[in-house]
Amino acid sequence: MPDAEVVVIGSGICGALAARRLALAGADVLVLEAGGPIERGQVVAAFRDSPRKSDWLAPYPYHPWAPHPLYLPEENNYLVQAGPDPWPVQYLRGVGGTSWHWAAQAWRLLPSDLRLASLYGVGVDWPLSYEELDPWYQEAEELMGVAGAEDTGSPRSQPFPMAPVAEPWAMRRIRERLAPLYAVTANTAARNSRSYGGRPACCGNNSCQPICPIDAQYHGGLAIRSALDAGARLQSHAVVHRLEADAGGRIRAAHYLTPDGQPRQVSGQVFIVAANGVESPKLLLMSGLANRSGQVGRNLMDHLSTALTFEADEPLWLGRGPQSPSAINSRRDGEFRREHAAYRLDFTNISRVDSVTNDLLEKGVYGPAFEQQLRRRVAHEMGVRNVLEVLPDPANRIVLSGRTDALGLPTPQVHYRIDDYVRRGAQAAQQDFALIAERMGGQRLRYSAAGKFSANHHITGTLAMGDDPARSVCDRYGRAHDHDNLYLCGTAVMPTSGTMNATLTAVALALRSAEQIRPMPAARA
Amino acid sequence: MPSPTRRLLLKAVLAGYATAWLPTAWAAPGDAGQAAFLDLSALLVGRSYVDPAQGKPLFEAFKAQAGDFPNRCLALLAQIQARQLDPATLQRVLDAEASPLAALPRQVARAWLQGVVGSGTKARCLAYETALNAQMVGDVLRPPSYAYGAYGSWASAERSDA
Repeated sequence: MPDAEVVVIGSGICGALAARRLALAGADVLVLEAGGPIERGQVVAAFRDSPRKSDWLAPYPYHPWAPHPLYLPEENNYLVQAGPDPWPVQYLRGVGGTSWHWAAQAWRLLPSDLRLASLYGVGVDWPLSYEELDPWYQEAEELMGVAGAEDTGSPRSQPFPMAPVAEPWAMRRIRERLAPLYAVTANTAARNSRSYGGRPACCGNNSCQPICPIDAQYHGGLAIRSALDAGARLQSHAVVHRLEADAGGRIRAAHYLTPDGQPRQVSGQVFIVAANGVESPKLLLMSGLANRSGQVGRNLMDHLSTALTFEADEPLWLGRGPQSPSAINSRRDGEFRREHAAYRLDFTNISRVDSVTNDLLEKGVYGPAFEQQLRRRVAHEMGVRNVLEVLPDPANRIVLSGRTDALGLPTPQVHYRIDDYVRRGAQAAQQDFALIAERMGGQRLRYSAAGKFSANHHITGTLAMGDDPARSVCDRYGRAHDHDNLYLCGTAVMPTSGTMNATLTAVALALRSAEQIRPMPAARA
Repeated sequence: MPSPTRRLLLKAVLAGYATAWLPTAWAAPGDAGQAAFLDLSALLVGRSYVDPAQGKPLFEAFKAQAGDFPNRCLALLAQIQARQLDPATLQRVLDAEASPLAALPRQVARAWLQGVVGSGTKARCLAYETALNAQMVGDVLRPPSYAYGAYGSWASAERSDA
């Protein structure tokens, strides 16, 4: 008898919701998680006590036996940067995974995002259509409690579970002043605009990242709890380092280490690797499995951003309401994608108090001038950034480094180069930045450093799906081409990145994989 | 009662440019370093008064990290008095001179304005919602992680003279 019918490696939002669905369908499911528990109340307290309020990793527990990349106050060099461009990605290893500290942006892709090669001659096509994804998007949105507006460009056959979250005053003024040049729309977010799923409506804590103190936004901690409620089992502190295949290529066991290095293993009939876009390929590379195509770890994508900050000519007071409420979607698609990256333009509503304080202290502003400048800038400053599509490039990849962690396991190494397609997209967005600043009466414009991009931590492509086993890692259901009882879940299976946060698409695909593994009886659907 | 040293400093500073910013006497008798810290703090954050109860844990934390912290406060306050240095130009002057006290104003101001003492791996946050940067905008904003209000309360115009 195997230890479990389905073994899920990774308790993040994708693995957890796949586990939940499989448990509800009657499967015996065991979830293995490398890290330890994460508790909301402790994270809130740690955030308030943190000396680095803008470091969203800081309030979270760090598990030395299951490290994740850290950059402050000192780099831990877990993720080795092989260049030529840096990619300082952030993620969490712990029960519930990285979506503990996400912005809850739960966008669907555009239909064209799945047909880039056919439509524009760049990137690749997906092995499935947007229409096939639609019901899975809907199921994911209902599970996660997604609130959104209808005018995002992503078709849907059923309404959103919730109306958009109330628009902050600042976003209203931006919307009014940019019309009709730009249509500013409410962001699609897994954030409650009313009581939903036993959780309250947002009350504007403005700390969506790193933590919503009241669970008004959905996250992986809620997802794994729902999986356990459905009957799945969880083994935390289990660092899976090798999958073992039998002579026929079927996966028979997952080998893991406890924090003190004791070896353990679990057997199963089906295995799901859902350990995120860096750790999942790392595990497959350590195992020497699922890589007949040579594509494991390749085609790494993350949305990249440049930004503009300026002072509007009216007080906006960012920081009232949720952090990331509004965007411009008109640059997400068009013939220009043959030439340069598509992008979304995102307006921040993050309180400026901490960042302006840092800047004034850096400049040595003391005395009465400090309060005067703080109030003026906090009231008037606003920011817009692009969220740029990145194309799949096999040279951008995760490999095993020559370093080892506390358990003696290899750490990941990233090879990353930002191409001209992205740089041209950023150049196009500069014109939008300038127009937006002009319309808002902008003064003291501060563009992000030329040629520099910030990461968005939307790790896609490293286990991309496709119809051709020679050019992709898994099929349209996330099943590894090389192992018929191995499924891959998470943002890593996405062949292209589009311009939107990847989580909702990854959850939709994970639910679809779960249905493929064990269909939900009609009575429970 | 202020100590003789502190009384001397206060008297001297009161005679100088910074008169308008100086707090009154709050420190425990005999603790000239702490008193200098409070006076310096008030100058840097632009207040006529800083709360000694809020200042005490900041001062103790600084002292725990660097034993000469009180003397550095005394030295900087004395320089400000003697040279009639304006808070608006203080940092520029100290930086230009490569003063050994150049890091002190920013450290002290940061402690009050963000509640953070120390830097890097030694940084500690001792205040958040009571830090002065939160207080300075407290009529409009709540510190992140504290509820702004009932659902949708952020949709209305903010009446502010900022």
